[in-house]
Formats: sequence, C-alpha cells, structure tokens
Amino acid sequence: MNDEPTLRAGEKPSAYVSAVEEHTRMAPAVKEAGTSASSRTAVAELVSKGLASRWLGTGAAVAALALPLVSSSTYVIQIAVDALIFVMLAVGLNIVVGYCGLLDLGYAAFFAIGAYTSGLLSTRFEWPLIATLPVVVIAAIVGGLLIGGPTLRLRSDYLAIVTLGFGEIIRITANNLDFTGGPNGLYGIPDFGDFGLRADIALYWITAVVVIAAVLFSSRLGRGRIGRAWRFVREDEDAAEAMGIHTYRVKFAAYIAGAVFGGIAGVLFAAHQTAISPPSFNFLWSALILMAVVLGGMASTPGVVVGALVISLLPELLRGAENWRYLIFGLLLIVVMVFRPQGLLPARTGEPGRRGHRAQEGAS
Amino acid sequence: MTIIRRGTMAAAVMALGLTLAACGGSLTQDSSGKDDSDTIKLGMLTPLTGSSAAIGPHMKDGARLAVDEINAKGGIDGRKLSLTVEDEACDPKTAAAGAAKLVSAGVRISVGGYCSSATLPTLSIFEKAHIPMIIPAANSADLLAEQRRNVFLINGTGIQQAQAAATFIKAGSSKGVALIDDNTSYSTDITKRTGDELGLLGVKVADRQSVTAGESDYSGAVNAVLGSKADFVYWTGYYQEGGLLIKQLRAAGYKGRIMVADGSVDGKLIEIAGKSNAQGVFATMTQTPQTIPGGEAWVAKYKKKFGSEPGPYSTQAYDAVRVAAEAVRAAGSTDGQDVIEALEQIDGFEIFSGPLNFTIQHTLSVGGFDILVVKDDDFVLEK
Repeated sequence: MNDEPTLRAGEKPSAYVSAVEEHTRMAPAVKEAGTSASSRTAVAELVSKGLASRWLGTGAAVAALALPLVSSSTYVIQIAVDALIFVMLAVGLNIVVGYCGLLDLGYAAFFAIGAYTSGLLSTRFEWPLIATLPVVVIAAIVGGLLIGGPTLRLRSDYLAIVTLGFGEIIRITANNLDFTGGPNGLYGIPDFGDFGLRADIALYWITAVVVIAAVLFSSRLGRGRIGRAWRFVREDEDAAEAMGIHTYRVKFAAYIAGAVFGGIAGVLFAAHQTAISPPSFNFLWSALILMAVVLGGMASTPGVVVGALVISLLPELLRGAENWRYLIFGLLLIVVMVFRPQGLLPARTGEPGRRGHRAQEGAS
Repeated sequence: MTIIRRGTMAAAVMALGLTLAACGGSLTQDSSGKDDSDTIKLGMLTPLTGSSAAIGPHMKDGARLAVDEINAKGGIDGRKLSLTVEDEACDPKTAAAGAAKLVSAGVRISVGGYCSSATLPTLSIFEKAHIPMIIPAANSADLLAEQRRNVFLINGTGIQQAQAAATFIKAGSSKGVALIDDNTSYSTDITKRTGDELGLLGVKVADRQSVTAGESDYSGAVNAVLGSKADFVYWTGYYQEGGLLIKQLRAAGYKGRIMVADGSVDGKLIEIAGKSNAQGVFATMTQTPQTIPGGEAWVAKYKKKFGSEPGPYSTQAYDAVRVAAEAVRAAGSTDGQDVIEALEQIDGFEIFSGPLNFTIQHTLSVGGFDILVVKDDDFVLEK
C-alpha cells in the first residue's frame, strides 16, 4: 500500500499495528461475551469472507461487464451508467465516512470539481477527455487540501457543518461565474470515443472498468494497514492518537482518497451527461451518497455497492409512480432503516486478522 | 488467492470477448430504427416532480388536447398519434434518463423540454437516435449553441423579447430607462439584450440594477432608479420580486412607467404590488389564448376536457404536437431526417404565436411577443 510515507514520519508502525489488532480482535469477543462465540463467528466469517469478498465480487463484476450483452436498450445503458457512477461515489465516500468516521455532508463538491474541471478543459480548451484526468485528480487533491487542511482538526458536528458549507460554496460559485457557464452550466462535453461500438455502450464499458477498479481499490485500501488505522481513528480518536497514530494525517489521507474518487466519478458523469450544471451538485446529492453508504452498511464494500445501486436505481424503477415516486422511495428507505439499522450488508465486527497479517507481510 | 482471482477474471474476460465477437450487432448499431406502422409515437419530457412540478400537467394536458383532436380527425395518413410523457424533474440527470427511456420506447419525435439546463443533456441522446425535438418551453440560447440539426424551439427567445421591449420603449419616447434583473440567467439575458437593442435605437439606459431574488426590501434599487431620473423601468425577473419592486417604487414616489417580462406575467404580481399600484404596468409576453382574439373558444375546449384553466406553456405544448403532426404529414414518414427537413420547410403553419416559419437557427421567425397592460385584475392586450 502507498501509506508508508504518511505513517512513517515520526511513528513506529509496529506499535500501532499491534495495538489496533489487539483492540479490534477483542471487540467481537467482548460483544458476543460467550463460549460458542468463537465457532459461530468463525463460520460466519467463513461464509461472509467467501461470499462477500471473492465470489460475490467477481460475480458482480462479470455481471456488470456482461450487461450490454444481455440488454442493450438505450434506457438500460443510461441508468446503468448512472448507477455505476453512483457506486463509485458511494465507495469514495465510504472511505471518508465508513472507514474513517468523518461525517462529510459536502461530498458532491468533489464530484462537481471533477465534472467541471474536465468539462471546462474539454469544451473551452478542447482537450480530449482522457487527458483531463490527471488535472482532475490534481484539482480534487487541491480541493481536498484546501478544505481538509483547516477543518480536519475539527471533530464530528463541526466537520459536518464545514463540509456542508464547502459543498454549497462550490455549487454557488459555479452558478455565479460566467466562466463555468452560470446557471446553465457547460454543454457539449465529448466522450472518450466509441471504439467502433455504439457510443453509449463504449462509455458503459469504460465506466464499468473504472468503477470495478475503484471498488477493488477501495476495498483493498480498507483492509490494509492504513485501513486499520482509519478504523481505529473512527472507533476512538484519542486512543488511536495515544497509540502513536498521527490522526490528523490519517484523516487527511482518507479525505484526499475520497476526494480523488469523487473527482474521477465527476469525469465519468461529465462524459455521460454531455452537459453539466450546478443543480446536479446540490446538497441532495451529497445526502443521497451518504444515504447509500449508511443504507448499505458503513465500511462494508459489498454493502455500500448494494446501497448505491438501490439508491440510484429505485427512483428510476418507480418512475411510473410519477408524483408518488419520492414518497414511496422515502417510505422504503425508512422501512429498511427500521428493520436493518446496521445496513443491508453490514461490515463484519471483527478484523480479518489472518488476512491482515498476510497483507502486512506482503507490504513489508 | 491473487492467482485464483486473476484466473477467474481472465476467464471471464475471455468469455466476454467471445460473446462480444459472436453477437456484436446490437452493440455497434442503434436498434431503435424500426417503426411500427399504425401509431406515431410522440414523447414529452416535462417536470412532474421537483421545483417546477406545477408546469408539467399544463404541458401534458395541452399536448394531449392536440393529440386527441388530431386522432379524432383520423390521425395522420391513417396513423394515430400517441403521447408518452416522462418526468424531467428540472434535473439534468433525471431528464437524461427520461430521454433515454423515450428513445427505448420507440418515440419518433420529442415534443417536450421545459427547464433549459435539464433539456441540454437530452439533446445528444435524441440526436444520436435521430429524433427531431420540437421544444415548447425551454428557450435558452445555449440549446442552439451547438447547432444540432434536430433541435427546434417554438417558444420566443430572449432576443425576441428584448426586441419587443426595446421597440415599445422607443415608441413611448422615454428619456431614460432603468433595467432591473434578478441575477438568474433568464433574467440577465433579457436585460443585457434589451440594453443592446436600446443602444441601437438610440434610447438612453439611465440605470442598471441586479437584485437578489427572495429578498423583501428593494429600497437600494428603488433609490438608484429615482436618483437616475429614469422614467421607464423594465423588470425582467419573476413576479414575486416584481410585485414588491412595483409596490416599493410607487411608495417611494416613482411616477414613470413600469414594464415587466414574461416571468412576471401572473395574477400574483398584481396581488403583491397592490391593485392600485399595478394599474397600467406593461408586460412583454408571448401570445396566449387569453390574450388573442378568438382564444376563448380554445380555453373553453381545454376547460371542458380537463376541468381546469390552461396554464403556462399549455399552448406551446399544444402547438408542438400540431407542428410535429404537420411535419410528419408533409414528410410522409416518421424518419428523423425527413421530419427535420419538413420542419425546416414549414411555411406559415398557424400556431398561437402567429404563422410559423423556422429561422436558420431553428427558432421562430416571429417571436410572437405582445405588449400587455394591467387592467383591473388582469393582463390585457395593449391596444
């Protein structure tokens, strides 16, 4: 993992790693407080490990890639790309909220930064869309530094308020600048090229590959050393700090990683929509992405993916209900949260201990 | 573990490649090219949810009235029209999904589009599917900037409204004009263009103000207008702020004339300004059945069918369907290219805004803007 430089400066990795493992390995034991707990968790772990991590993931990836072969109608492809982009946003926010426990209410800001940066470069300066990607990543990182720098020293509620403000600032700025096209936004954004396929299907496959890679990357990130540091910070920031984790830097890493995910999702969104405007990046979006994370199960990659699919596809499937669709949507969400408060596919309580060791060995 | 996964993935990718090679047909071409012979499918995107949800039913009913009328007369060449309505929610993403749904449903001509920013992403979707768009309401110049051949606007544009306003102001021999907008793209576009037109006509623009929508105290703008000695105020925002502005201008002793743009043409303006303050306020507005001679019959027909008064853009939606039907009749087919050519060649087809001819940019050659004036509780045509 690429977290070495972040963590090495001034810490002793071995100390906190063992501390984190100690801490988390005790958690399930304490919770179950029982005799047969170990065997039960072992079975549960085996099932969820086998299902959730490997076969489910591979199956979902293959299914995603194969979709255009099953149905290639314009509508199916359109909403599938929307859903995939939403998945990418959700796994990105999951790094911030799920892994690290930083409540970010302005995540759409990074999405907007990505979409607007690539949109501006490709329409005003006629760059090919793919060439805008590095600039988008840099812009997202700069955005993350600007807002994360001063605010990550804050905690919980304060951070939520500041990020909420940041999200609105980006949107209102885009709304008021002539350069960004004002309220009507940018239009005529090119796609990546059609590679001899129908243009929307080519974009679908590009999106699918990027999103699958992002999901894999974020889930690996969560399992690695920095992932455990994030979880420790989430569970108890003071204890983490006492154990030698530079909490500020670790939180920063989560925030920047989330920003980059959001930025890249923005590029895909710009290519997909061909026209972007400020209303696409309002608070509702930030809230919906957060909802996907919570609905699916915080810090659980399969859960978050499922949550994102539900949140983005349900309103489309309810299109027939016209005025009622958001009411039904809201009611369904309430029902889910009443009966599954931990999310649809919650994260396992324990740490994947064995695998953690192996990852650590591989890294060093 | 990694090896297993890599193996699985490689196998999956290979399988995918083989399938792709075997049945690549539908992936490389658009499959929506067929047409069923007995109905002509029209599609409409209009806000049914969200901030502009009130507009949707008016547009839908207007379009439905036209569809039913044409079908009652036997349709076009024996083919009936059908109308599919999808929600655009004034949201670009929802609109794009809705457009894709219409394309998949086999719609031949689009007769919808209300919010300009939500209509923009639908242009390329309809264009790729070779579907002509007759847009009844959205009228931003941005819709035309890419010069897509399938896009036609049948609502008057900002520049046409500005020309109507400037001509009227010039005729009234004003000594100085104050232009006030509310900082939205629609509103600033009209003030900017009106200022340009007035410049060409040699009328002095004494003052320009931008106010913030949603406030309740406009004394800053009012004082600036009084200070500039303008004797004509043109407000280009919406009725809520417009009503307050008129009230506060009159209260501060402003004696000159006031005119508002089409976003303020609503009974609420008179209510908010106060009936006595609003008397004699002018407005630039596209023709509606309430203001054109002989329009009462249409309104009565609409009311009888839907049990409610026609609202904003009912007439434009009605006209969009009629124009679409006319183009199909003239073209003798529903092929996108043929219909686009037929639309470009339409000559003098009667719609509410006057005889229809499309300009080279695919906008109305005659904007159809009239000057209305407030009389008692209503806007009536200025004679």
